[in-house]
Amino acid sequence: MTVWQRWVAFLSATEDGTSLAIVRLVVGSCVLRTMLSVWWAGIYTVIWYDTAHGGYRSFGDGPWQYELLGGYAPWQVDLYFGVALVGGALVTLGVGGPVVARLLTFATLQGFQAVCDLNDHAGGSYDELVANCLWLLVLAGPSRTLSVHTWWTTGRWSSTETVMFWPRFLFVFQAVVMYATTGWQKLSVHWVPGGDLAALYYIQQQPTWQLRDMSWLAWVFPLTQLATAVSWWWEVTAPVWLLAFLASRGGDGWLARTLRRWRVNTVYLVVGLVFHVLVAATMEVGPFSWASLALYAAFVDPRTWRRWLRLDGGPVDSRPAEGVPTVG
Amino acid sequence: MRAALIALHCVAIMALAFPAPSGGMSRKTWADPTVQAELEGWRERLGGVGLALDKDAFQDGLFDLASGYMKVRAAILAPMRPYHLYFGTWQSWRMFIAPHMYPSRLHVDVHDADGWREVYAARSDEATWLRPLFDHDRMRAAVFRYAWPNFTGTYRAFCAFLARRAAVDFPEADQIRVRFRKGRTPTPEEVRAGVEVPSTWSNARILDLAPLRAADGEGA
Repeated sequence: MTVWQRWVAFLSATEDGTSLAIVRLVVGSCVLRTMLSVWWAGIYTVIWYDTAHGGYRSFGDGPWQYELLGGYAPWQVDLYFGVALVGGALVTLGVGGPVVARLLTFATLQGFQAVCDLNDHAGGSYDELVANCLWLLVLAGPSRTLSVHTWWTTGRWSSTETVMFWPRFLFVFQAVVMYATTGWQKLSVHWVPGGDLAALYYIQQQPTWQLRDMSWLAWVFPLTQLATAVSWWWEVTAPVWLLAFLASRGGDGWLARTLRRWRVNTVYLVVGLVFHVLVAATMEVGPFSWASLALYAAFVDPRTWRRWLRLDGGPVDSRPAEGVPTVG
Repeated sequence: MRAALIALHCVAIMALAFPAPSGGMSRKTWADPTVQAELEGWRERLGGVGLALDKDAFQDGLFDLASGYMKVRAAILAPMRPYHLYFGTWQSWRMFIAPHMYPSRLHVDVHDADGWREVYAARSDEATWLRPLFDHDRMRAAVFRYAWPNFTGTYRAFCAFLARRAAVDFPEADQIRVRFRKGRTPTPEEVRAGVEVPSTWSNARILDLAPLRAADGEGA
């Protein structure tokens, strides 16, 4: 079998859609949270209206979504905000069949991008992460289970209808790309091995992101050094997580067996969860941790999700399709 | 066909996510003490393995190398730009790649008959004017950027916005002062010993409020 044939076969596997549905629920709620938090904080007009309408910046014609409608105007912000808000709710609920759900998710993506890209100073990587996830949901067709669509068509909330495996793989790939490339750029002398490993201590002292005073970390500095080392290695070696994820789906080679025996997929997952919980508890970085958790849902096999959530319908065989290559 | 498109997607996001000094290609930014400390740290490390370099030669060479890399990167990414732009596949994962050793803290004061009075200080529980605005993660991100020299233009617009709000919220005030307190983050040893680390004021802007009220009056 050539590499290309192996790749094609790998992408042809199917499984039930529970993992993707969990991703959809988290991403949709993330869009809602992002929009509503701006509204509730009273900064909507401040960051997204221009100076003539109560904001602090000028936007010229605005990004391409605004040029499309004749150039920036506040009513367009309201329009795109409304599309993102309503779309976020519909994506969360899982409204529409394969075509309608994709169109709704694509509209949500465009509304979300139009609003969040407008003032690129007032945002962060979390906006890109949410947009990445929305596009992958468009590709996935996100409403096959745990959705209003399922309830409407079957009378039940969950379904074991099979979906393609490759969208879940793309979420996993996105997570690994995100963590690996951020780790590869952590070249500060405070991050890399051989340095003082003080990066997390100093980052936690930065007033911009603090939720509360963190000077007490000075008394547990060695713990912050340990956390710095663990998170650096965890990010830099993230491609191993991709291998471990693939190995968790099967494979008889020594590498796959070793990765499974050492539960490497679970270890990376747990370290990442702890990392995001600590970030959320100590720093104000918007919906970053919540959006990241959407990706984590993709690392978990749909059968495991069904067991955890005690969903009816019975487990579905989500082994790779025959001939599908696996690690090792 | 599907397999080819998925492969292209993976290539497109990898290419954009691959490490690059985007947003840092300015000698003004490089002059910041945090950046200088990082560069010096690496120059010393290279010196330790026999690659001793003069400070200016090292930084000039690194800047030229980074500039060349960014040109090649831009050429590679150009055909993928529509996919990144229109389909939400932008990748920029330079998250906390280096701790900011000289962070800035925003302070806002107003001046009235009694002199200057602090009305806002970042993360303060006493000076809390517009705190819901400043505490939101999006404004935190914006204010973080405005302490850097490459955002001077928008920082001025931001100060003008604060002046317009202050003209309404503090009717007795005649001026507003917006500035950053910039200082080195104390080391763990200094915190434990109770050592005060000196800081300086930067980016101070003082704006008169009377003309803003007059303009508002005319507008009404």
